[in-house]
Amino acid sequence: MKAAQSTQIDPSKKPKGNREKRRTALAAYFFVSPFFILFLIFGLFPMVFSFYLAFFRWDGLGEMTYVGLANFQFIFNDPVFYSSILNTFIIGLLGTLPQIIFAILIAFALNSALIKFRNTFRTIIFLPYITSVVAVAIIFGVVFNNQPFGFVNYLLSLADIEPIRWNAEYWPVKIAIATMVFWRWVGYNTIIFLAGMQSIPKELYEAAKIDGATISQQIRLITLPMLKPITLFVVFTATIGSLQLFTEPLIFLGRNLREEGITMVAYLWRDAFVYNSFGTASAAAIALFFIIIVLTVVNLLITSRMGRSKKVG
Amino acid sequence: MKKWLMYSAAPLLSVTLLAACGGSDGDDGSSSESVEGETTSETIGSGDIELVFWEFGNTGYDKLIEEYVEENPDITINLQNSDMNDMHDNLFTSISADTGAPDIAMIEEAQIERYRTAEDSFNNLYDLGAGDVQDEFLDWVWNNSENASGDFVFGLPTDIGPTVMFYRTDVFEEAGFDSSPEAVSELIPTWDAYEEVALQIYEETGKLMTDAGELIYNARRDQASQQYFNTDEELIIDDHPEIREAYNYTADFFDQDLAGDIPLWTPEWFAGMADGSYATMLAPAWMQGVIKDNSPEEGVWSITTMPEGAGNWGGSFLTIPSESEHAEEAYAFISWLTAPEQQLKSFLDYGLFPSAPAVYEMDEFINYEDSYFGGIPTAQVFSEAAQQVIPVYKGRNYYSIDDVIKEALDNVSAGDDRDEEWSASLDTIDRILAR
Repeated sequence: MKAAQSTQIDPSKKPKGNREKRRTALAAYFFVSPFFILFLIFGLFPMVFSFYLAFFRWDGLGEMTYVGLANFQFIFNDPVFYSSILNTFIIGLLGTLPQIIFAILIAFALNSALIKFRNTFRTIIFLPYITSVVAVAIIFGVVFNNQPFGFVNYLLSLADIEPIRWNAEYWPVKIAIATMVFWRWVGYNTIIFLAGMQSIPKELYEAAKIDGATISQQIRLITLPMLKPITLFVVFTATIGSLQLFTEPLIFLGRNLREEGITMVAYLWRDAFVYNSFGTASAAAIALFFIIIVLTVVNLLITSRMGRSKKVG
Repeated sequence: MKKWLMYSAAPLLSVTLLAACGGSDGDDGSSSESVEGETTSETIGSGDIELVFWEFGNTGYDKLIEEYVEENPDITINLQNSDMNDMHDNLFTSISADTGAPDIAMIEEAQIERYRTAEDSFNNLYDLGAGDVQDEFLDWVWNNSENASGDFVFGLPTDIGPTVMFYRTDVFEEAGFDSSPEAVSELIPTWDAYEEVALQIYEETGKLMTDAGELIYNARRDQASQQYFNTDEELIIDDHPEIREAYNYTADFFDQDLAGDIPLWTPEWFAGMADGSYATMLAPAWMQGVIKDNSPEEGVWSITTMPEGAGNWGGSFLTIPSESEHAEEAYAFISWLTAPEQQLKSFLDYGLFPSAPAVYEMDEFINYEDSYFGGIPTAQVFSEAAQQVIPVYKGRNYYSIDDVIKEALDNVSAGDDRDEEWSASLDTIDRILAR
């Protein structure tokens, strides 16, 4: 409507409008320029430099030596690199899948009219998200302590289960880190889902109730389908979040980052800042870059397919 | 990419002090401070020449600086204290970027290896007159600060960490031993004796010899004449038996359940000091502050010599990056700060053990008796240890290699085969060095 109006008015004042347009455009570029300047310095340059570094051997202080593809050869022959990719995916799945299911259920409970003090509960559920991730990792380090007196090991001992070495064994490490991810993000996702649920018309539920639908039927047939776009958003952010997983394994495992729990970002960080090998770290960063591209494409394909099925349905 | 990583990583690094505190100088257990990863900045004095001084740990240098600026009114010192790993990483970045380095930077003794390739980024203190004070310091400490050819010296030594055996008098008495330092020293002259006593204590009291087996490995490693690298940066770990012996010896303790596997700098490790659930702690001089903080009861802990001689764990150097515009003033200040009189004050106030042997002769030092450790002259035990230290070359990948071996030992403590773990860690080490 507005667009149509402006085309009607424009012809009469064409020259002036153009000049004005250009001035507005200039002003606009001026106002957005801080972003681009900062992006060039802190975003683009380091990225390009990282690509460049991947072909050099460099300890950060001495001379850079050109080594061709040797850094890539090195990381692709390093079993720990593959472990780090696998770990990232396993921890990502363990941490996010149950989290999304829980978040939907909690959001549904918080959204229902039955619960009193809803606002209090909403605040409480959101609190873990604002906790410092470092603090979370330290606390969970105490909870998942290797020693028999560690909190979880103590609980297990009540059921006559031997103490578990939480920061050293293959699955326990991943479960412990995934638990931290779960605990910290479940509240955030709950709030997102809650917002989505509140946009679902109440009449749908009322109609369903009159038709005699149970709560599980309401979740399955009304809530979940109506939440599809929100679910997609949550899945995307969770995917990106788990690919970036770094702080939890670093603090839980220490600077040494055992192979059982090292993630991709932790791997490249350790190469750069513990081993002072910026070349292999950059090569790992580039590998990570391509993995993210592949995952994004997969995500996009799924989204567009979901979009299509919606139209058909 | 590396920059944003750096900035996002910096606050996290602080916490990993808990894992990698190989030799945090004078870090007397103020871990709560370190965990927060904060940098405190203090400007002392009102002179025209401002010197920026980066330090870590709990040195108490602010007090000494106040004294210095009073005598030198033209100097102002901006003292910035951060966590050890943070400080070294920040220094590394600023030197790599050629901008942002301070006038004076404190560098930990093993970390200094990381900067060896960057001689250009530091002032050669010999040019500023360090040759005159060289004789004031222990030779081996001084050598660690020099380059391979001996014509470049990075920094002036501050404190050192000669290792001794801290022990619980109550546990030794419970096991039926005489608990005086002389008697314990006589009881445990060798590592074989240490193992025997460990067995006896376990039989009599059911208590462990130590709760952190890692400390046994450290103690034996630090007594080795060579460690992981020779001075040509070649890995010698496999054809040099001392490290393997240290490894096997520690593994023996784990196999017989005579040592616990609690990682250092963790809350349960701090808590363990007050419990009396183990008999000994093999640790350097600066650990006395940690013990005092965590086990407040007087008279239960005592100090004696370590079996088969001492090692050194920790200590730092004060360097002057070449970016500094006031190198001469900075040198004047650090040579004052590391002079014997000031080192004595640091020892009396903060337990930092002097690197200048002249202090060992001072009456105040010799007569220093610590009621906490049963009123024994602790300074003498430490100075005896300091003079026994065998200097070793550590090499720039020291901490990475050390961590790999600790991980292997950790697995052994959980029941894995020690030989398999050893060869697996050699593979890992090869991969680290190939980077």
